[in-house]
Amino acid sequence: MNLITLKNKNAEEVATLLGIKERNLLVEKFAALGLPNKKTEEYHYFDVEKLLDVDYKTLNYVPKSIEEGDKVEIVDGVVTKAPKGMRVYSEPCETIDMDHFDALYYLGHLLSPHIIRIEVDGDCHVEILHKYTQSETLINYRIVISNQANRHTTMYENFEAEDIHDTLVLYGYDMHIAQDSTLRMVRLQTMNDNKYSMITSHKVNVAKNANVLLKNFDFGGDQALQVLKVELGERAHVDAGHLLYLNDDSKRGTASQIIHRGEHSTSKQEAKNILDGQARGIFDALIRVEHSAKFTKAEQNSKSILLHEKSYMASKPQLEIYIDELEASHGSTTGQLDEKQLFYLQSRGISYIEARKILVIAFANTLIEQVKDSRHQDRIKAAFEEVFYVANKG
Amino acid sequence: MSTVMKIENLEAKIGDKKILKGLNLELEAGKVHAIMGPNGAGKSTLSKTIVGHYDVEVLGGDITYKGKSIVDMDAEERALEGIFLSFQHPVEIPGVNNAYFLRTALNAKRKHEGKEALNAAEFLRLMKSHLEMLGMKSDMISRSLNEGFSGGEKKRNEILQMLILEPEVIILDEIDSGLDIDALRAVSEGINKMKDGKRTFLVITHYSRILDYIEPDYIHVLKDGKVIKTAGPELVAQLEEHGYDAIEEE
Repeated sequence: MNLITLKNKNAEEVATLLGIKERNLLVEKFAALGLPNKKTEEYHYFDVEKLLDVDYKTLNYVPKSIEEGDKVEIVDGVVTKAPKGMRVYSEPCETIDMDHFDALYYLGHLLSPHIIRIEVDGDCHVEILHKYTQSETLINYRIVISNQANRHTTMYENFEAEDIHDTLVLYGYDMHIAQDSTLRMVRLQTMNDNKYSMITSHKVNVAKNANVLLKNFDFGGDQALQVLKVELGERAHVDAGHLLYLNDDSKRGTASQIIHRGEHSTSKQEAKNILDGQARGIFDALIRVEHSAKFTKAEQNSKSILLHEKSYMASKPQLEIYIDELEASHGSTTGQLDEKQLFYLQSRGISYIEARKILVIAFANTLIEQVKDSRHQDRIKAAFEEVFYVANKG
Repeated sequence: MSTVMKIENLEAKIGDKKILKGLNLELEAGKVHAIMGPNGAGKSTLSKTIVGHYDVEVLGGDITYKGKSIVDMDAEERALEGIFLSFQHPVEIPGVNNAYFLRTALNAKRKHEGKEALNAAEFLRLMKSHLEMLGMKSDMISRSLNEGFSGGEKKRNEILQMLILEPEVIILDEIDSGLDIDALRAVSEGINKMKDGKRTFLVITHYSRILDYIEPDYIHVLKDGKVIKTAGPELVAQLEEHGYDAIEEE
């Protein structure tokens, strides 16, 4: 399948090309938004057409019997393992956001008529491992996560790939965070070589008095874009953190919209980006406060360190506000390492190369240390240091 | 007299402004030298020039340390050779653990000296003993380097680094600024502990208060980028009484 064939097609043509006879509303939404290209705001800094214009192999998504394991394991978009007692199953998706800004959100649903539903019971920690085994393939799947009111869940998301190449992964979550509950999602992606590119398109609904923490640690290569839409109800809270470390010519980042709908809702979005080589980082983030969201608090910040003269950070924090009764701030800084800090370390006998490493790791640690579980915090620190040290040998 | 550092006809600028204008100074090994002078005389520029600060461009003259010119050395080389600056305004570095930083610095120095690195447990024992002596809390081990430290804590942390790194030439740039009496006493005790007749101190100060705690052997008056007078500690009283304007170039 070559997805570029969907470019500039009307709903009828899209339905024909995808072989879809029903689900007209989704087809219409996709056709109205159009296949993303360089002019699409959230894909402006991302070479999306290059990724879409490839003849990918496609897979038959046949649900397998799920073995018992210590984590949820999804291989090429099919669940193979799950912890005992956890409800994980495949079903048609009935709760699709019909007002998402991302065409690939709809394309994902169109290509995945059956979603993976994960129902989280009680207070628990869940690990989700995504594995990819196929080269030159379009791997497409969608996951729905729902929790229960008054419960607190932490999910750790990790990725593995066999020796593959030129694969495109399209996946995403529809999350429904129940009233008075908390869901923490910690996502770690490390990849030193160019095995697959990835576009994830998420939708997160946060109900009244609920909290969601989305921490994304992306130390990958090649291309990846996380597209995120969060909607906050009354007194709901989102804390979104993005740590990006890129080198060589990788292009990765986040395009997001956080929408305050309920009164007293709060949002905190913090991006830290470390770019080396000819890498391009993306942080295109909008916080929108609607008329109904009086007494909102919104905070948005992006800090970037460029370690090479050819590195580039596209940082675009934006606030769109329709009321007066709120507290909101946003900011963005991009620069080199602080020379006063570098000199201080050197004045104590620490070499320039070592001082540079210490400062970069320190910059990253301020976000990593927000992961409260020390085992996972140590794991993320180790992953970052490994990737960074490999890229900065000597 | 055994000279550990000799500065001859030193000329240096920061930005477009020439600040040191043919400065001469000899530091006698094992002695305490105080540099006093009015605002803008070039005291801090002198300390920055000795440690190789990136702000300073040396225009002429030389600095020799143990008989070897250091003006072309990097800052870390000078530090490894035993030159230490206690900063007037130590920089905050969030995310860098204080103990990790100090152990990295100490082990870099030990490696330079051909000694084995200290492991984490050995280093912590060393650090804790000095913390106690300086009246510092044990959370200094885990806090980020200078982040959120009070003025007094920052200065004590500089002295802690000095005690652990055991440099040979120690430059104290306005070490007493912003310190209350208790902090000043603790900092002075730390400095006096290092006075063993081998280490050399260069105490840079506006006021004589610190010299009540750290007894100097020599007073050098710096004015308009030059040392205009060198004398014994008796010069302090004269400066207190008549000010810097009364001092004439020798």
